[in-house]
Amino acid sequence: MKMKIFKSKNWKVFFVSLAFIWLQAGSVFAQQIRVVATWPALADITRQIGKELVNVDSLATGVEDPHGVPMKPSFVPRLNRADVLVLIGLEDEHSWLPALLDVANNPKILLGRPGYIDCSVGIPVLEAPTLVDRSEGDLHPKGNPHYLLDPVRAKIVAQNIAAGLSRNFPQHQAVFEKNLKAYLTELDTWIARWEKMAAPLKGVKFVEYHPEWIYLADRFGMKRIGSVELKPGIEPTPNHIVQLVQDIKQDKAQLLIYGAQNPRVPQQIASETGIKVIRLYSGGGNQPETDSYIKWIDYTVRTLVQAVS
Amino acid sequence: MNLSRESAWAMSASLLVGTLMVFPRIGLAQESVTDMLKRQIADMQEQLKKALERIEQLEKEKSATSGKIDQLETATTARLGEVEKSVQAVQSAPTALNPAMGLVLDANVQNTKAGGNFDFRSAELGIAASVDPFARMYSFINGTSSGVEVDEAAAITTSLPWNLTAKGGRFLADFGRFPKYHIHELPFVNQPLSIQRMVGGETQADGVETNYLFPTPFFLRATVGGMNKIGEDNDRVSNIIPRAWSRMTYLSRLNTYVDVTDNQSVELGTSIATTPSVRRVGFPSGGGYRMLNGVDLTYRYQPLGSAVYQGLTWGSEFYTNSERMPFETDEGSFSKRQRTYGGYSYIEAKLNKNWSAGFQVDYAPVLDSPGHRTMSYTPFLTWYLSEFNRLRLEYYYLQNNFRGADKAETGNQVFLQWTTVIGAHTHGFLTR
Repeated sequence: MKMKIFKSKNWKVFFVSLAFIWLQAGSVFAQQIRVVATWPALADITRQIGKELVNVDSLATGVEDPHGVPMKPSFVPRLNRADVLVLIGLEDEHSWLPALLDVANNPKILLGRPGYIDCSVGIPVLEAPTLVDRSEGDLHPKGNPHYLLDPVRAKIVAQNIAAGLSRNFPQHQAVFEKNLKAYLTELDTWIARWEKMAAPLKGVKFVEYHPEWIYLADRFGMKRIGSVELKPGIEPTPNHIVQLVQDIKQDKAQLLIYGAQNPRVPQQIASETGIKVIRLYSGGGNQPETDSYIKWIDYTVRTLVQAVS
Repeated sequence: MNLSRESAWAMSASLLVGTLMVFPRIGLAQESVTDMLKRQIADMQEQLKKALERIEQLEKEKSATSGKIDQLETATTARLGEVEKSVQAVQSAPTALNPAMGLVLDANVQNTKAGGNFDFRSAELGIAASVDPFARMYSFINGTSSGVEVDEAAAITTSLPWNLTAKGGRFLADFGRFPKYHIHELPFVNQPLSIQRMVGGETQADGVETNYLFPTPFFLRATVGGMNKIGEDNDRVSNIIPRAWSRMTYLSRLNTYVDVTDNQSVELGTSIATTPSVRRVGFPSGGGYRMLNGVDLTYRYQPLGSAVYQGLTWGSEFYTNSERMPFETDEGSFSKRQRTYGGYSYIEAKLNKNWSAGFQVDYAPVLDSPGHRTMSYTPFLTWYLSEFNRLRLEYYYLQNNFRGADKAETGNQVFLQWTTVIGAHTHGFLTR
């Protein structure tokens, strides 16, 4: 029996040797700052600020349900090698990221450490619950985390990322600040353009599947009249759908927005009310038209405007 | 007439001269108006230029002001956010250092060959928090109808170098896939019988364990550990009596994972738990050894865009147990070398966000009675009212190849399980 135990060491030696080869290979790329972002939009903003100094990787692809990203072990090596982690915060990633960090063996990017760049710092948060109780659904106790859909708040995100990168790599602070300034100027130009473009959205009443669109609605003057979900994260009951259909008819809502959710219920509601159903993702990055933050918001605003025109 | 004509010419000439003397500039009138108009146009152009410059200046001032307003707005909103966070921090300060806590209730109603039963299976209290910058700690205290027990209480390092993590205390050892799940976390009501018989239920162990994450581009993780024994219900070995180091159980595991596509993945693990020298409870003189091997393979289909609504998991585990163990028979006790095999395979499909269904097949040998085994076939249906509230219906058909099996492990069985969670709820990596 002991012989067999010793034999089983052979393949362990093989794997250890393989690991060291990979380790050596990894050092070739050690010049760039390795950034892992949770969502593609954050990855893009980080690239705009870090430019050639950073090598940014996004864990989610953008098509996932914001609260249902599969906890893939393939994320673990990426987190293990990261110099910094850029995340949404406000418990947006609570269902998958903390468990991955537990096994990633990378103290640099743990909560509270310099490499943990929480982009929600300083964000004026909407819908912070007054009653934190699961009878209200799968709540985010610190407020709605889908603030990236507001391009003005994205300026704070960019500032947080620049500050986070500078905190970890002060030798490049001047470069980060210069790139930040240029990116903020570009964002300002786009924001002015979007505000003009989104004029037809002002006052438009809409329904969303999950409470994801409040920041964008708040920015461009849209009015939410309800959600398909009974409570955040809770699928609708038949009674809730009946009530929602009545509300849509009464308030003359024009749009129903859903993303990574099942289209069955939105289509059912559309057939009963005639409301226009559009699919827009609250993550960005999932198609060529949305592969940068600016392109994603531009695509989103244009799609909404076309839907109400 | 001639005179008068001359007079007329003279008068005309005089008038012309007089007029020219009185209004000397009339002769140049056409030129003067053009100049005047030119001057006026030049003046107007100058004024227009000044006006345009002024407008441009005003626009610049306006854009500079609006830029300042934007900056002020951004700074103000950022400051407001910080203030809000500070207020929240102050409000939560009295409870900030309390550990996260959650309670899981697992109850079911069942009908087996032994009869019906409302089975209060467990109320499991989970507590977790950071200890300091170097470690965190968690515990699961389990109350069942037979008493209260510390199911797990372990400290885990968070800052070891070289990709190492160490764990110590009482924990579910990293053997196999489902053996280290708390029973209420399984996709079925009951733990497969092969795990109960071959591993000894959940892999509860008192000892230490170290994990190493290989610095490879793909996930590859190794575990080694040493413990008194493995298996919460493994009564063959004592958990409390001091023993020689050769009588400890030593664990090793290698676990890897590959994304076949964005939507499909395969996970493979191999585990060995070896006890070089076994002193079986009740056999003070008899000795032996034991080696338990496990291989687990899991295929997952998780379409990224609809992973909450769709998915398929096929999981299998196969165990071999090699041992020489003292046995009690009618003719006395003796040691016998034997090898047994067992395992299970299941498939589960996510039908939508709330419903999933599956089927499990299990082959479970009886370690102390070589040749005896139980086959079971289990369809199951799960309804998730929410992430924290679940009902599960399970039919269990058990077929033994020997007589005298326990009624709880025979024939047709039906279970209706209700599992609910309150408080802090974290999704562990090992039980994902």
